[in-house]
Amino acid sequence: MTYEIRPIETSAPPRPRLIQMPAVETPKPTAPQTAEAADQAQAKVAIKDLRFYYKNYEALKGINLTLHDKRVTAFIGPSGCGKSTLLRVLNRIYELYPDQRATGQVLVDGQDILDPRQDLNLLRARIGMVFQKPTPFPMSIYDNVAFGIRLYERPSARELDERVEEALKRAALWDEVKDKLRESGLSLSGGQQQRLCIARAIAVRPEILLLDEPASALDPISTQRIEELIADLKSDYCIVIVTHNMQQAARSSDYTAFMYLGQMIEFDTTETIFTHPKERQTEDYITGRFG
Amino acid sequence: MDARSHGPAAVTAVGLAPRSMRRQRLGDIVFRRLTQGFAIGVLLLLGAVIAALASGSTLAFHKFGLGFLVSEAWNPVKDVFGALPAIYGTMVTALVAMLLGVPVALGIAVFLTELCPRALRRPIGVLIELLAAIPSIIYGVWGLFVLAPLLQTTLQPALIDTLGNVPVIGALFQGPPYGLGVLTAGLILAVMVLPFIAAVTRDVFLTVPAMLRESAYGMGATTAEVVRAIVLPHSRIGIVGGVMLGLGRALGETMAVTFVIGNNHHITASLLAPGTTISASLANEFTEAVSDTYTSSLIALGLILFVITFIVLACANFLLWRLSAKEGA
Amino acid sequence: MNIMNIYARRRAVNFAIMSLSLLATATGLLVLFLILWSLLRQGLPALSLAFFTQSTPAPGNIGGVMNAIYGSLVMTVVATLVGTPIGILTGTYLAEFSRGSHLAQAVRFINDILLSAPSIVIGLFVYEVMVVRMGHFSGWAGAVALAIIFVPVVVRTTENMLVLVPASLREAAVALGAPRWKVIVLVVYRAAVQGLLTGVLLAVARVAGESAPLLFTALNNQFWSTDMNAPMANLPVVIFQFALSPYADWQLLAWGGALLITLTILALNIFARLMASWSSFGK
Repeated sequence: MTYEIRPIETSAPPRPRLIQMPAVETPKPTAPQTAEAADQAQAKVAIKDLRFYYKNYEALKGINLTLHDKRVTAFIGPSGCGKSTLLRVLNRIYELYPDQRATGQVLVDGQDILDPRQDLNLLRARIGMVFQKPTPFPMSIYDNVAFGIRLYERPSARELDERVEEALKRAALWDEVKDKLRESGLSLSGGQQQRLCIARAIAVRPEILLLDEPASALDPISTQRIEELIADLKSDYCIVIVTHNMQQAARSSDYTAFMYLGQMIEFDTTETIFTHPKERQTEDYITGRFG
Repeated sequence: MDARSHGPAAVTAVGLAPRSMRRQRLGDIVFRRLTQGFAIGVLLLLGAVIAALASGSTLAFHKFGLGFLVSEAWNPVKDVFGALPAIYGTMVTALVAMLLGVPVALGIAVFLTELCPRALRRPIGVLIELLAAIPSIIYGVWGLFVLAPLLQTTLQPALIDTLGNVPVIGALFQGPPYGLGVLTAGLILAVMVLPFIAAVTRDVFLTVPAMLRESAYGMGATTAEVVRAIVLPHSRIGIVGGVMLGLGRALGETMAVTFVIGNNHHITASLLAPGTTISASLANEFTEAVSDTYTSSLIALGLILFVITFIVLACANFLLWRLSAKEGA
Repeated sequence: MNIMNIYARRRAVNFAIMSLSLLATATGLLVLFLILWSLLRQGLPALSLAFFTQSTPAPGNIGGVMNAIYGSLVMTVVATLVGTPIGILTGTYLAEFSRGSHLAQAVRFINDILLSAPSIVIGLFVYEVMVVRMGHFSGWAGAVALAIIFVPVVVRTTENMLVLVPASLREAAVALGAPRWKVIVLVVYRAAVQGLLTGVLLAVARVAGESAPLLFTALNNQFWSTDMNAPMANLPVVIFQFALSPYADWQLLAWGGALLITLTILALNIFARLMASWSSFGK
């Protein structure tokens, strides 16, 4: 089944890739149809028949999906539908837990990241993740943001300062913390901590940003600021956001994927999903008949 | 505008990546192997202890055979030794300690969880735990200079005059009131083990679901009835585990017992008589042991003690682990 | 018996049992205070300047326990320096690398047994492997014996503290591409640092009071000595010797030493508890 996706026009110069992925052999995709070829020109991630298992329980049942660069894709669905699970496949963070495994293909710029030869640390340096609960490290605000940079680069002190400032500015946190960079990250408020985590994630200049219900633990004002931030960030990153808040998905995203019980029920532009969805289940969820 | 595409950082990172990658991976392997090595070291340590003790005691077992375990002899002059008095003393003092200490410990746990006003729970709990922190030798000194004379002049004569005349158990309370002896040692041990048992029991009591308690109180049960019918049955495994932990400690206690037991390698029925335990024998005599047989006999005693405490502690930890697995799952 | 009689009996039983539990607690607290009171009463007179500045004397002479304090201090410090990294790394293995595995279960089990094992047996062990081999008693042997008692305490508290660090913190570090060991060393340790320190302090408090393992490893030394390769004076063994002796001035020194050890250990314990409650975790 193919989905008709109409790409949204924007223009921006392509970003230089920060870390090269080692060449990994992947089977060539079958020749695409012309309409699809135009869509895939801006596709960043292609998920093909992805299945996910917690021990023997199949949590994701054959997901097919395309994520586009410089767009926001939202995963919505009731609790337990697998949207967070799907998100966590994208940076293979499930590998921390031996009972969890995934089969299928996830092609990032044409290379399958599920390949066992893929270096996980390198992969995660290209893909940033922000979690539901703010997780500042027990160190200063500066060290929090610099943490990821220091892992893979040897910047001079001045360069590091610039990078930290750049990340904090982009995360709309700079003005509030510029005088207290040496204070502990834990001394910030909840909304500020979450923006710190976002700054930390973008400081390493990833290509993809994964946001797992980033505002669900925050008050409405912080939530609004996070949403404004996402709108600003999308011009540079491929963003995927999991949210249980439908209005947030409708406000913030370009594409929406509705999931239910481990399956992708419908995937289309946000406008289509929320105004004239094709599937009955999608419509029921959107209008609140269940969930 | 696109600030991210500038700078040498982007270029150098690419070239640097492979080498630092290898270093990161190496770091992971080294760290993991290092921690694993130390963990295995713990296992090896146990094996080493048993091996060392076994090798040190072969001489004694060779000379006396398994009769060593039941022989009452202890004659450094004739170089003949037997473990029975020490084993007997170890068991009896531990038994006395349990009989006296467990009820008190349970009482403390009940008090802390049911009766005590909330504000005092933490301070009193800490004070009881400080009892556990006081070193064994302090108990020994206190026992020798304070408790023993006290018992000699008050409790022991009283016991001799009253219970000493009762048939059967009277045999336990015969003889002159030395002050030192098996009873005193058992008393001190009771004080030393009760904080451990009280702490474990209190922790287990706290895991009883509030709803269970509330439904019992809601039916008009008194506190004692709630404890007896709800809390205690729920905490059975934990209490047994805690008691066995205390027993393990009591069996192995050295300095406190050494000061007050009187160091007498004889088995007597009376609790008021001096005796000895394995650990007290070791503490008192090891540095004076002149012959190889003497030394080996003492090490054999140590091996016996280690085996006994190992079994008790293994059972205790197994029970407590079973309990936490039930709770935590 | 009508209902009121039954109820009266139930209330009486309840009163009796609650009174007994109160009595039990009072007894425990009473003993604690009695001991502390005796220590203060008998030991304070011993705490003079000479007590801290002179070495153990022959009976009938003036002296102090300076050599014993020094010996105990040095051996405790060595045991801490050796035992802390071993204990923390082992605890790290149990918490971070192999939580459910059979090896971890076995190590945890054995560790808990070593934790409560009779310390005199540990002393015997070190005697067999070090003193016999070296041919003489030594401060090193005493420090090793103390280290063997030190490690299980730290392993236990380290594992407990590291397990408390939330998985989301680890995941956040992993998500940035940090290798496992950096996640542990740079993030998890920092998050748990107060708990780890508390564990070390509790282990020091435990080791500071141990006498049995020193009886046949470090033995004792009547004179001032800084040579770790020779028998080393230490407070617990000095107390042992002096308390059991018939000399009044030696007994006085024993009380003083007992007071000193107790105050130190109680201070360490209370400080460790205070630090644990200041910990920023559990918010």
